[in-house]
Amino acid sequence: MGLLGLYQAQFRTTAATHLQYRVESLIWLFGGIVEPTVYLVVWSTVAESSGGRLGTYTSGGFAAYFAVMMLVEHLTFSWIMHEYEYRVRMGRLSFVLLRPVHPIHADIVDNLTYKLMSLIFLLPVAAFLMWAFHAEFAPPLWAVLAFVPALALAFLLRFLMEWTLAMAAFWTTRVSALNQTYYVAVLFFSGQIAPLSLLPGPLADIASVLPFRWFVSFPVELVLGRLTPAETAAGYLAQAAWLAAALVLVRRVWRAGVKRYTAVGG
Amino acid sequence: MRYLRLAAVYLRLGVFNELEYRGNLVVQVFQSLLGLGTALGGLAVVFSYTDNLGGWAPAELLGLLGVYFVVGGVINLVIQPSMQRLMEDVREGTLDFSLIKPADAQFLVSVRQFQLWRGVDLLIGLGLLGIALRDLGATLGPASALAFLVALAAGGVIVYSFWMMLSTLTFWVVRAENILVIFQSLYQAGRWPLSIYPSWLRYGLTFVVPVAFATSVPMEALSGRLSPAALAGAVVLAALLLWLCRRFWLRGLKHYSGASA
Amino acid sequence: MAELDIEIRELTKTYLVHRREAGLKAAVTSLFRRRQEEVHAVERVTFSVSPGEVVGFLGPNGAGKTTTLKMLSGLLHPTAGEARVLGHVPFRRERDLLQRITLVMGQRQQLVWDIPAIDSYDLNRAVYRIPTDQYRRTLAEISDLLELGGLLNKPVRNLSLGERMKVEIGAALLHRPQVLFLDEPTIGLDVTMQRRIRSFIAEYNRRHGATVLLTSHNMADVAALSRRVIVIHRGRLLFDGALDHLVARFSSHKTIVVQLREAVADPSRYGEVTAVEDGRVHLRVPKSETARVTAQLLAELPVEDLTVEDPPLEDVIERVFAQPGD
Repeated sequence: MGLLGLYQAQFRTTAATHLQYRVESLIWLFGGIVEPTVYLVVWSTVAESSGGRLGTYTSGGFAAYFAVMMLVEHLTFSWIMHEYEYRVRMGRLSFVLLRPVHPIHADIVDNLTYKLMSLIFLLPVAAFLMWAFHAEFAPPLWAVLAFVPALALAFLLRFLMEWTLAMAAFWTTRVSALNQTYYVAVLFFSGQIAPLSLLPGPLADIASVLPFRWFVSFPVELVLGRLTPAETAAGYLAQAAWLAAALVLVRRVWRAGVKRYTAVGG
Repeated sequence: MRYLRLAAVYLRLGVFNELEYRGNLVVQVFQSLLGLGTALGGLAVVFSYTDNLGGWAPAELLGLLGVYFVVGGVINLVIQPSMQRLMEDVREGTLDFSLIKPADAQFLVSVRQFQLWRGVDLLIGLGLLGIALRDLGATLGPASALAFLVALAAGGVIVYSFWMMLSTLTFWVVRAENILVIFQSLYQAGRWPLSIYPSWLRYGLTFVVPVAFATSVPMEALSGRLSPAALAGAVVLAALLLWLCRRFWLRGLKHYSGASA
Repeated sequence: MAELDIEIRELTKTYLVHRREAGLKAAVTSLFRRRQEEVHAVERVTFSVSPGEVVGFLGPNGAGKTTTLKMLSGLLHPTAGEARVLGHVPFRRERDLLQRITLVMGQRQQLVWDIPAIDSYDLNRAVYRIPTDQYRRTLAEISDLLELGGLLNKPVRNLSLGERMKVEIGAALLHRPQVLFLDEPTIGLDVTMQRRIRSFIAEYNRRHGATVLLTSHNMADVAALSRRVIVIHRGRLLFDGALDHLVARFSSHKTIVVQLREAVADPSRYGEVTAVEDGRVHLRVPKSETARVTAQLLAELPVEDLTVEDPPLEDVIERVFAQPGD
């Protein structure tokens, strides 16, 4: 089947490229490990000086939260915005447009392939963090099972949204400002600086209306056993709704982007 | 002194060069403000739950953030661009242009590349320090101020030597460039006081990758937490690392010119 | 009437650009009042190409060659006019058309940098859904014609410029396109490599009857490959026809090369001396004077040998481009 063949070929291409850059890939993973570790330590310290717990989180609770969050963040993130800025700058966008397939297919497989390879390294790191900081991690079985579709939905949702943002490269070369604002927003409102339930009032309100919580916070809280089945079901619905919106956006923006590109040239 | 003049010339050149790219200033200001907002946001959330973190008051943490921005600014202003250029030169063989000049090569390669607009971080850091000092005002004295400057200088030398030694590795291993990313990643940990980290992390952040000397140690000197012994230790370490870095550089040069003979 | 592979009529592409002068004052005024200029990249160009033709597209930098090619491959939306490639409207980017055309750009590459080219070929195979046995056959043929040999197994970044170009061209042909758009394929290559790529294109066209539209500002490419030449200058089509007609139409002079038995004091009496070497004198002479001057030379000088030549193609083209645009 055509598309499947393309997925396999893209997988091989990406895997081969990253094997060439093993050392660099490992080094780039560093940033994604340091940040959650730092917040882990900070929040554990705050918890300990506040009588052992903060909200529903003990020191061990924070350890579990940030270790899992590190993994989920990594599994859902993408660099597609940089990728398109690079393609536009190097004049490679023409080749993307000449292909008789929608570019998003190759982009998704490229992303997933990289993660498969880096997970081999990250899983032990997460396990180490949990051990070194005495994480409390004993989720119910149903939560672990429910985690899988939540994670898949989170990945799709986030990827589609970031892919849509990547299309900004069709309109302007100065996408860095847009990208960085986005990253900061995701940082705060997907639960990477602190669990969303601990955010002060106004920030928590903003977090509840933005889609970012469904990227990371929701699957993380789910697999930590912090959600009821009802909350989980509601979460799925929210993810699905945002996903539907994202799908519509992707199609519209891609068409607009191509129109713009072919009007102005590369 | 001659080398001071040379540095000034490079600075002027760098300034003129960067002025051509005025747009970059806007981008940099935006980036720095975003970074500041993120850091302050994190602090704000933390301090909505407590009034001290590992024994440090909010004003001290603000001061720490200031030092973080100041040192980070200096690194991004001149150290990182120069080291990056050095590694490119080694890779492309254009280091020769620096070597035939009648001045010490290590000095030349260390100060010649500027990213002027990163100076914005420096300004932000100084501003934060100013605010922090105002809040800490009562507990400060000329001794702390002096200790702070000494610790800052020692920290600067230590960070420079660290970067220089890692960059010198490219004489032997061309793809060593990415190793510096490790420092950039770990540097984030410097926004928080060293004392909150478990001992193994503290050790790593002090003696493996000297983030602590860049941020925590100077701030501790400023707030009077640093013992004179520790301060002396930092100075000694700085001198030692500078000496080591020099020897390593000379070794690398020998290898470089031997190899391309 | 035979079906045409490429058909364009009054094809036009106009850009609106903002013009601003340097300086602070201009920067401030530009905030209030934007001066817009129209750039006519391609102006009302019309031509057709039959199946299997090899057409050379000549023009100096910025003439509109690449813009035209991009409009034909669907990458650019024309401002006015019509274009059809293999019966399709290119900018609709229909899958059926994309499967049957290919674009090679001399200064840009589509191959993945860090891995062996053969892996990128494999990816193209999947993208274009080429059946395995057809892929193997095509690959063998292209490897053979382009003399790719072991190049395919080296990471692309380790290849020289010429090797990279060969491998790029190979990648572009894996899906056996019917129409080839080649934009400056020999740019930056040494003479030997240029020749090799040229002979490859000629052979490919001969074997598969693929239509080739080739742009270049290198005369040798066009002269060697195409009998038909289209000249574009400042967006306008200046000439469309056989190469020899181009010379005949645009050159107003001929070159007489005289081999003398003994040196002569002042050959410039007869015409403009463009070169003197080993007793051979090159004289540039208006076409209408050729016969008269030749007779004169033969009568008055100790001539050992004499030939009448067309001026070098480069000179002709230079003259063509030197014409005032409007």
